[in-house]
Amino acid sequence: MAGLVTTFGAGAMTNSIPEIRDAEFLFVIGSNTSEAHPIIAMEMKRAVARGATMVVADPRRIWMTTIADRHLMLRPGTDVWLLNAMANVIISEGLTDPEFIERNTEQFEDVVAAVAEYTPEQAEIITGVPAEDIRRTARQYATTEKAGIYYTLGITEHSHGTDNVYALSNLVLMTGHLGKPSAGLNPLRGQNNVQGANDAGASPVFYPGYQRVDDPAAQAKYEQLWGTKLSPEPGMNLNVMMKAVGDQIRGLFVMGEDILLSEPNVKRLEEGMNGLEFLVLQDLFLNETARFADVILPAACFVEKDGTFTNSDRRVQLVRKGVEPPPGALADWEILKRLANAVGMSWSYEHPREIYREMAQSVPNFAGISHERISERNDGLQWPCLDDEHPGTKFLHEGGVLRGKGQFQAVQYRPSYELADDDYSLLLSTGRTLYHYNAATQTRRAPGLHAKQPEPFIEIHPKDARRRGIAHGDWVSVTTRRGQVECRAIVSRQVRRGCIWMPLHYAEARANLLTVDAGDPVTQTAEYKVCAAEVVKLRDGDGANTFPGSFYAAGGPGVVATPAE
Amino acid sequence: MSDDGDSTITVNGKAVALEPNDTLLSAARRAGATIPTLCHDERLKPVGACRSCLVEVEGQRRLVPSCLTKAEPGASVVTDNARIRRHQSVLMALYLADNVDAAATDDTADASELHELAEHVGAPLDWPRLETIREQRSIDRNPYIEFRADRCISCARCTRYCDEVESVSAITLAGRGSATTIATADQVSLMDSTCEMCGGCIAVCPTGAMTEKRPLLQLLKPATQLKKVRTTCNYCGVGCQLDLNVDEAANEGRGQVVKITSPEPGTMPNDGNLCVKGRFAYNFVDHEDRLTTPLIRNADGSYREAPWDEALAYAAKGLLGVKERHGADALGFVSSSRCTMEENYLVQKLARAAFGTNNCHQCAAT
Ligand code: SF4
Ligand code: SF4
Ligand code: FES
Repeated sequence: MAGLVTTFGAGAMTNSIPEIRDAEFLFVIGSNTSEAHPIIAMEMKRAVARGATMVVADPRRIWMTTIADRHLMLRPGTDVWLLNAMANVIISEGLTDPEFIERNTEQFEDVVAAVAEYTPEQAEIITGVPAEDIRRTARQYATTEKAGIYYTLGITEHSHGTDNVYALSNLVLMTGHLGKPSAGLNPLRGQNNVQGANDAGASPVFYPGYQRVDDPAAQAKYEQLWGTKLSPEPGMNLNVMMKAVGDQIRGLFVMGEDILLSEPNVKRLEEGMNGLEFLVLQDLFLNETARFADVILPAACFVEKDGTFTNSDRRVQLVRKGVEPPPGALADWEILKRLANAVGMSWSYEHPREIYREMAQSVPNFAGISHERISERNDGLQWPCLDDEHPGTKFLHEGGVLRGKGQFQAVQYRPSYELADDDYSLLLSTGRTLYHYNAATQTRRAPGLHAKQPEPFIEIHPKDARRRGIAHGDWVSVTTRRGQVECRAIVSRQVRRGCIWMPLHYAEARANLLTVDAGDPVTQTAEYKVCAAEVVKLRDGDGANTFPGSFYAAGGPGVVATPAE
Repeated sequence: MSDDGDSTITVNGKAVALEPNDTLLSAARRAGATIPTLCHDERLKPVGACRSCLVEVEGQRRLVPSCLTKAEPGASVVTDNARIRRHQSVLMALYLADNVDAAATDDTADASELHELAEHVGAPLDWPRLETIREQRSIDRNPYIEFRADRCISCARCTRYCDEVESVSAITLAGRGSATTIATADQVSLMDSTCEMCGGCIAVCPTGAMTEKRPLLQLLKPATQLKKVRTTCNYCGVGCQLDLNVDEAANEGRGQVVKITSPEPGTMPNDGNLCVKGRFAYNFVDHEDRLTTPLIRNADGSYREAPWDEALAYAAKGLLGVKERHGADALGFVSSSRCTMEENYLVQKLARAAFGTNNCHQCAAT
């Protein structure tokens, strides 16, 4: 997020989802697209079917690797090595776009100097990806006109997540793959409205529309709009805030999230929660966090209220109320309005469209967007949208980089916060699956989704399993320096040797008991993707077929015999 | 005929400019002609399986399938005349003879395009019924999708969708002639196949042969009695457009979402496609665990129900108390990427304007 704002001047997909089908080269990194974003995966499949080349960089074998031309199965946490080595190849083979660099960017020299030592041969030793594969990928990327990069949390959920984004931005800028259809840098957002929440200013450093809280002009604008004095001190990031709970943070308001299920290093957080003086929770269901709440306010869900979500491609779309909430529950906006009035404000919004209007008039990029306009279209409105006549923007940076000049950011590899060692000899990554969604408070209440993946599990490589006497389907205990959970073992070559992978959806095996809360120095996003762990067998499995169907089916690509390592 | 023959065709006497990759069907539709189709879907390669889109082309003796035929410049096409109508009506009568009564299709997820079309072309409904010989997969323990062989017309929209769009090829056409059916490999349950439960096969099926399982549809009224509400999915960041199908009288008049359907192809960003979560994971809406009253914690840790005004006053007092004792920056506001733009805007406004702190962040800051 912050990474892209720094390099390009806007933190969002530079292209639109419908442009993906026309891409000629797709570089998919740290994105289990078919499970996390099935519809985007459909567009990618369509591009591949039309002859596009796809390269997937991921420590795991995932569905997308089965249709990719090449799978770069890198060691977790070594992305910067891989990406810098690609930059090295592009520069040393003269495949850059000098004209674009000259006209639209600054600080290219820094990157040239920084990547000089990242030769593909060295990269092979560290990432485990053959040098020749790195070369070929770099060449194809640089020389294909419509070449797009797509990434998700596999890139950002690291203690060096921002570096990863910088390294990707460098590739884009040096090859001029920006400001064109189907060629750009595209973060795929995990949740329906991550983009929108950022856009709306739910951020400790930004007012709506990425206007900094420590910029006096922005402060003055919002002081006038809201009729009150405002603080110019940037606030705490979520990760910092969670570490400060019970300490500097004594009162907490939480809307629509189960922080105890979704925040890293939850043991520490639970201790902190005991030191809270007051906790207000607003949600659909009683969740784990509710144990600590002083007040719980029942909220309406998305089919019971009006409003907008902004998706990954900056598309503002309407959420329309179809039914009334259960008696006693209220829409979140209504609760917030009444809470504000209870602390002395006088908010008078009658409908979310008035709230949107207030926000849009304070952000030039949203000024042309309104509920009224969106309701007349069937494809939403993509920001920037400058006035009532503006058609919205399909791809960014068309007439030059938004920030003025694209900013190259030289980065050096930093190892992940915690690496495997003698006591914890495996690297644990966590992630999402197709059938569940984050804390799964909604999906686990869907019988079919539950039937498909009812139990928590880890994936472990056959060799690692054999050394520990673990058979497919056995129950195992997974331990890290922070905690321990029990789950089933799926013995599969989907993971690299020395690596294990676990979904984070299960309350009875909370992956966040295990993960570290080391944060990226810029975004503070926690490192969910790498930590050291050990696995021990607990008892035999009962032979149950835990993962019927799909990727895991016998004979399916997930457990199909692949060349032994 | 226009002398601009290399870039136009004539449809029912009217000239239409050609666009790249035009078929007779796409060009004729642009010219305003109504041509019935069953096996056609814009997202799929045309196969010409159902024969309902036949048209007359000048200089050709037989009727040709318009969905499959490339529009050659200069062609002259007729889409509606006695011969074509006779063809349509006989074809539909044949389909119906090997299918179920119109009334029986009321219980499926969507109106049957086949039966609507038959009515539209005035097909005779009194032809003798055939006993269907298409193999029905025995009970499939997958939770969502049911295949009813007696309604299938082998148009292969479902299998082509599964193949070309979802790319998992879980289902396939099997058997020959009037025994042709839709099968999984070895007729296993969809649960044990490569199926990802996207439900696309249900959405594209024109007859209700692929449909949602009966338990999901228990409360379902005929499609005409449901209200469709277009909205945005609340799961991932793609922001698929979907249609809530609402039974307005249910739940004591509050209304109930009884199913979710996908909009027309071409509706962006999802082009009418959905994934398993968007299409099927809505049971939580009516789940008995939903909170329906504010709760305040008692001194002993138990909760008591409280009216809204009391709960809000209590929440306000609690948060203001922390601010008084420790300063505004001792408060933290966690907002949600699951909630709307407007709600996120209000949370940060609440933190900043009402309490005076910038300690406000959405959960999922990536
Ligand atoms: S639900 Fe989707 S994946 Fe499964 S058979 Fe139908 S189209 Fe194929
Ligand atoms: S099940 Fe439906 S879509 Fe599939 S072939 Fe039969 S009629 Fe066509
Ligand atoms: S629509 Fe043309 S043959 Fe089916």
